[in-house]
Order: sequence, then C-alpha cells, then structure tokens
Amino acid sequence: MTESVPLTWEEVARVYGRKIYNFAYRLTGNSDDASDLVQEVLLRVRRGLASYQPGSFEGWLWRITRNAFLDDVRRRNRRPTAPIPDEVDRWDLASAPAADVEYSRISIGDDVQKALLELPYEFREAVVLCDIVGLSYEEIARAVAVPVGTVRSRIHRGRKLLRESLT
Amino acid sequence: MTHPGELISAYLDGELSRAEIEQLLIHLDGCGRCAAEMQNMQVVRSAVRSLPLLELPARLVAEADADVVPLHRNRGFLVGAAAAVVALVIAIAAIVTPSAATVSLEELNSRYGARASLDPAFGPAKMVVPDLTELLE
Repeated sequence: MTESVPLTWEEVARVYGRKIYNFAYRLTGNSDDASDLVQEVLLRVRRGLASYQPGSFEGWLWRITRNAFLDDVRRRNRRPTAPIPDEVDRWDLASAPAADVEYSRISIGDDVQKALLELPYEFREAVVLCDIVGLSYEEIARAVAVPVGTVRSRIHRGRKLLRESLT
Repeated sequence: MTHPGELISAYLDGELSRAEIEQLLIHLDGCGRCAAEMQNMQVVRSAVRSLPLLELPARLVAEADADVVPLHRNRGFLVGAAAAVVALVIAIAAIVTPSAATVSLEELNSRYGARASLDPAFGPAKMVVPDLTELLE
C-alpha cells in the first residue's frame, strides 16, 4: 500500500472515511455504531494531525481507529469478544468437508458478516484489516502493535474459525 | 511431519518469502490434508473479500462536507467582525459627540456609507439617511 501523508483532515476524511466505515461496520455489524466510530476517528485524526510525524501514515491511522473502537467498547462496558479458544488449531479431518462442497454452502453476505461477528475480537480485527481494508501483515502489525508472526497466526486461525462457522 | 498451517493463509495473502513458498509447495505436493486446507482457506478468504464495500452514510458525507468549508465560514466571520468594528466606532463617536446636531450630514453619510459597503446586510444608505436628516432639522 502506498504511503502518502495527507496534508489536511479533509483529505483524510475524503480518502479514508469509507475505508474506516467499512472496517467499523464489519467489526460491529451495524451502521450506527460504525458511523459513530468514523466520527470519533476523524475527530482524533483532526486533533492528532498537527503533531503527526511523517512515517507510516496507515499504521498511525489504523492504530487510532482500533483504539477508538476499543475505547468505545470499554465505554459501553461490554466485552468486545468471546475469549480466544485454545483448540482453534486442532485439525479436525473427520468433520472437514471437501472444499468444493464448502464453496457451494457459503452464501456471500449476511452469513459471512454473521460469522465475522462470532470471531474473537483479535481474529476478527486481523481478518478485517487484511481482507476488507487491504493492509499488509506489516501494516497490521504496526496498527495492532503485535509482531508480524502474531498477525499471520491470527489471520489463519480467524479464517479457520470462519470456515467452521460457514459450513 | 510438521504441517505448514498458517503459511497457507500467508501464501494466499502474498506474505511469504521465496524460500517459504518453495517449502510450502513441496509440502502441498505430498499432503492431501494441507492441499484441501489450502482450498478451504482460499474459499473463506474470497468470501470475506467478496463482501460489498459499503458507501459512507449520507449524513457522514454531509458532516464531512460541512467541515470542509470552514473557509466560507471564516469569510462570513470576517465580514461580521468588520461590521462590528464599524458599529463600535459609530457607537464611540455617538458617545463622544455632544449632540446629534453637531454631526454633519456628510459625516453621517460617509460613516453609514462605509458600513453599508462592508456589511451588505446593513441595507442601502439612502434608506437611513433621510430619517437622520429629519432629526438634524
């Protein structure tokens, strides 16, 4: 992804507003919460731009976005996720159908959104930043402040859980 | 033998080094389980990526647009501020001036004329001046 430093808050809103909204919508599953988050993020960007040091703008922006999301979740006093299950990496060959069978069962849209919402937060966030926002693993690692190896693991485990939900 | 596991997703995302790709492809050749897993991950990844990119809700666009035009607001503020300064000058002049009769019509005209040219909302000077003329008489 190209690293460019927007000069003004308006440019950030114009260029990233829709991406932030889609990130928020896929994390929350509803448009009101997503809209509130976009407003909060843009407010924080506006306040932060003055002190922004040229560097990884994407990492900076998505760190702000995720922090705003988590603050909102804390403010509402509800847990963002189910705890991360220990058994996610377990291979379950007996119950794993062939890929072509799975494909026919997956209906794009509501089912995928529902399955995303069932993911533990860390996995959902990693999958959404990768597949919806289009960030590289390196950018996700910077935004989430974890090693790239952790991002890799979260995305894979998230997809495996999605597969289980969707079949 | 160790199954590559998360290398599969990273491969699909183009996040593997050349060496890792070679290692993975060699493994996939001899492991039906991982080959099936590769297909499964591909399906799930495509499903998530096929979710429609939603438009920003109209109210957010409107709010963003409203914030994009502070220049216009500033311009309005400047006109208002200029008018306020002129009004203040006139008020001070009224206090300092002992009586209205000592103010010449020309002075009033030039003061109000100046204000009218700065503040379009003030109205044409002609509407105001006749009343003042009566007062002076």
